[in-house]
Amino acid sequence: MTVSEHTTAGFRNEPILELRRAPARESLLAALRELDAKLPLKVPVVIGGDRGAAEGIDSTDPGAPERLVARAGRASEEDAAAAVEVAVRGFREWGARPAVERAEALRGAAARLRERRLELAALQVRECAKPWGEADADVCEAIDFLEYYAREAIELDRGRPILQAPGERNTMRYVPRGVTAVISPWNFPLAIPCGMTAAALATGNAVVLKPAEQSPGSAGALADALYGAGVPPDALALVPGYGDAGAALVRDPRVHVIAFTGSGAVGLEILRSAAETLEGQDHVKRVVSEMGGKNCVIVDSDADLDDAVPEIVYSAFGYAGQKCSAAARVLVHEATADTLVERLAGAVNVLTVGQAESFATEVPPVIERESQERVMSHRASAADHLAASAEPVPERGWFVPPSVVVGLPEDSPVNREEIFGPLLAVTTVRDVDEAMDVIDSLPFALTGGLFSRSPATVERVAARSPVGNLYVNRGITGAMVGRQPFGGNRRSGSGAKAGGPDYLLQFVEPRVVTENTMRHGIPVE
Amino acid sequence: MEAELQRVGRAVEAELQRIGRLIHAAFPGRGLNPLRALDHKAMELASQDMELRAALFRFVDVTPACRSLDDLARHLTGYLDEVDARPPPLEAAMKMSGTKAGRAALGAAAAAGVRRMAHRFIVGETPRAALRSIRDLWEHGAAVSLDLLGETTVTEAEADHYAARCVDALETLAAAAPRWPGRPVLEADSLGPLPRVNLSAKVSALTPLLRPEAPELGREDAARRMRPVLARAKELGAHLHIDMESVDTQEATLDLVFELLDEPELRDGPSAGIVIQAYLRESPEQLERVIDWARGTGRRPPLVVRLVKGAYWDQEVVEARQHGWTPPVFEAKRESDRNFEVLTRRLLESWPYLRPAIASHNLRSVAHAVAYNRELGREHRELELQVLRGLGDDLAAALTQHGMRVRVYCPVGDLVAGMAYLVRRLLENTANESFLGEQQRGTPIEELLAAP
Ligand SMILES: Cc1cc2nc3c(=O)[nH]c(=O)nc-3n(C[C@H](O)[C@H](O)[C@H](O)COP(=O)(O)OP(=O)(O)OC[C@H]3O[C@@H](n4cnc5c(N)ncnc54)[C@H](O)[C@@H]3O)c2cc1C
Repeated sequence: MTVSEHTTAGFRNEPILELRRAPARESLLAALRELDAKLPLKVPVVIGGDRGAAEGIDSTDPGAPERLVARAGRASEEDAAAAVEVAVRGFREWGARPAVERAEALRGAAARLRERRLELAALQVRECAKPWGEADADVCEAIDFLEYYAREAIELDRGRPILQAPGERNTMRYVPRGVTAVISPWNFPLAIPCGMTAAALATGNAVVLKPAEQSPGSAGALADALYGAGVPPDALALVPGYGDAGAALVRDPRVHVIAFTGSGAVGLEILRSAAETLEGQDHVKRVVSEMGGKNCVIVDSDADLDDAVPEIVYSAFGYAGQKCSAAARVLVHEATADTLVERLAGAVNVLTVGQAESFATEVPPVIERESQERVMSHRASAADHLAASAEPVPERGWFVPPSVVVGLPEDSPVNREEIFGPLLAVTTVRDVDEAMDVIDSLPFALTGGLFSRSPATVERVAARSPVGNLYVNRGITGAMVGRQPFGGNRRSGSGAKAGGPDYLLQFVEPRVVTENTMRHGIPVE
Repeated sequence: MEAELQRVGRAVEAELQRIGRLIHAAFPGRGLNPLRALDHKAMELASQDMELRAALFRFVDVTPACRSLDDLARHLTGYLDEVDARPPPLEAAMKMSGTKAGRAALGAAAAAGVRRMAHRFIVGETPRAALRSIRDLWEHGAAVSLDLLGETTVTEAEADHYAARCVDALETLAAAAPRWPGRPVLEADSLGPLPRVNLSAKVSALTPLLRPEAPELGREDAARRMRPVLARAKELGAHLHIDMESVDTQEATLDLVFELLDEPELRDGPSAGIVIQAYLRESPEQLERVIDWARGTGRRPPLVVRLVKGAYWDQEVVEARQHGWTPPVFEAKRESDRNFEVLTRRLLESWPYLRPAIASHNLRSVAHAVAYNRELGREHRELELQVLRGLGDDLAAALTQHGMRVRVYCPVGDLVAGMAYLVRRLLENTANESFLGEQQRGTPIEELLAAP
């Protein structure tokens, strides 16, 4: 297989902290102590530079629900409309700026995040119960998005080369679309809102950012970094809020692009609502959506279980399974199933469940009570099939014991629905082809994994697998900007790859100009 | 002072050159055993072509996971298919794989090849099965450190099983060792007796909880299992050596050893040892830490420090590059070689607080240690030289001939457990820059012994 490289001039991934070194760990704990002294953070609704009251939404620590992490304003439907109004204005000015200037601002924001990276990681530990390694990686990913899209946008601004014939000049350029509503989830509380916002801003759109109600603190930090680096107040509004504010943005006829990452149910509702063309709406809305998954890892008979077991465990239980890329199912070849299940169960039994602030923690609490209840009820429904469970878990906080269930009937909801928690289902299959049939029968196609040491099998699965991101002989989470452009197919998303060379195209409109260069039969060039 | 250092440097260098040539001259002849010649041929092919090397080693690696000869043959041809320029014997193998009978024959031949290669590096499936080879080595003047190969420990049961295997290995060796003939060079130095029974163990095998960002978790869990192993070693008068693995586990490993050895029940035994890896940029500070500990502790017998270059070079570099970190290892081989000599001198100078063991197949590195030991006015027996079974056999034979104290590190385990180890050794043996590679290519002695 030949592999070609797309390089984005000068881009390199922000290095994650070397947590195996004690001083790096100590610096994070110090940052957490400093942050704790400042809590709760105040995150107002910000429209056109006007900061409203920071009241209406309380974000709490999932591991200690009585700890208030941030107090945020709660944007109403009217606030959403006002934000769009300002953004329409802001767009005219921001969209007219040269791409290089916009890129400058984004890179400035990256520098600001970099300066505060320890504090921002600490904030995720508190606000989202994200364990340190993952919190730090999320901050790095946010920085990566800013740096990457800034560079890609300059590249895109040059237009694309097209065929030229004598006597005519053809140019193809990309222009911004308009007001973009960014609706982001809590599970990557800085990186995901940052990625969608940065892509829209880099290409000249104005943004109204509605972060998840569970993580306004991180979104506030993002907005501060962008404003501080010179993004005008009219080009970016911050509207923390609930679903009603988000729905109002999606409905608004002045919104051109909706960039959404979140659950499948909300995603489909957005697609439906955005498809309706309202009175006075002069354009078709574009929806960029990243939705759920039911990600499967295939383990073939020749897999190296020494690798497969730890990688599967991390993919399924890292951040308590609350990543859209997380492993939900293992489809294992019958010849190796018994050994795999035994080792996997043993590995899950020794998982460390605890507070995110402890470096020893592998499985933190889930985000909120409803999540806990949802996962526990799925777990209860499969109780007869329980093969492993790391218990007991702490009383305080929204903990769910990480569990493995084995041999459920194929149509069990645990096998079919996105659970978004630390519950992994193992199914034995005759061979890789049967595993592929199972994957084909699922509506999702986000990530997938394969453990096999046969080049022919790797090729066959890669050719047939519908997933957006297939990982071979490694874990299936942790996509890196520029290296693993990320996004799902089928019902998992609209197929755009975040952090990849195609992503910005969704935020622009192509325009082609053809000029006749002949005058009186003479080419004027 | 400066002048004195230069004088010593020159004296050591001259002595090193002399000793290096002596040892070299004592290397046993080659090519006597046709099977060995075949292995050499395979290794030669592998070192010449990186694609082929990858294909062959991927095949070796997957062998124990294949379900049938047919499955083996399919894997082999799958890997060879990705090699552009196949030498004639492999081209023939590809042709054979067209039929079921051909695949069966090919699979059988390939499996036999892998087993033979494995046997070169691994002395037996169990400690009991290895006893003959161990006694053989002893009779030929080389002591042994037994190493238990195993799969990665991911569960409690696996960690318990490994600890039990350690105790079993100690007991098996201890039962057999009294029947071995006397070998004074191997049994004492001027600091006291040296145990006949010697086991190397890995911390990562003793716990499923070893994680780089939380070293204390795995350390405590491993300590719980290592304590009884140490206690049993003490009862049996055996030596327990703790291997060093990747940087991810290094902090936990060193802390664990110091913590356990300082416990009251273990302060007067057993004999124990650790490893310093000279390819680590921070290895000089690590050695200082060990020396400080050794000077401060009243523990007896003295800690053995095995100095190696380090076996995880590619892994450390790739991991660091993927994350955008400065690699923790030197990036030019000569830097590792040079540091190895610096640390050798520092280690020999810390005698009698520490017992030095120099583990290398590099004639220059070994001769340097021998020469410096001389320069310090000490006898051969104050210095232990260690090699790996299958890689350092010739060197071991040559060293024992000259009356030096040699220990051969002998892995034990089945094919499944042994594969990761085998592949690492094969990679090392065919790495372009490795000393053994140079030696096999017939590099002249002047170059082999040249200062790094
Ligand atoms: C008895 C014994 C026990 C051992 N125990 C351990 C152990 O516990 N832990 C462990 O890690 N290793 C251990 N080793 C392996 C050892 O670390 C070396 O991998 C091996 O001995 C090869 O080194 P050498 O001096 O024999 O050969 P040489 O060919 O002189 O050196 C090869 C070594 O140089 C280093 N190197 C290669 N390329 C580069 C480069 N580009 N830049 C910098 N350095 C480079 C690597 O360390 C490589 O292994 C042991 C070896 C022996 C003999």
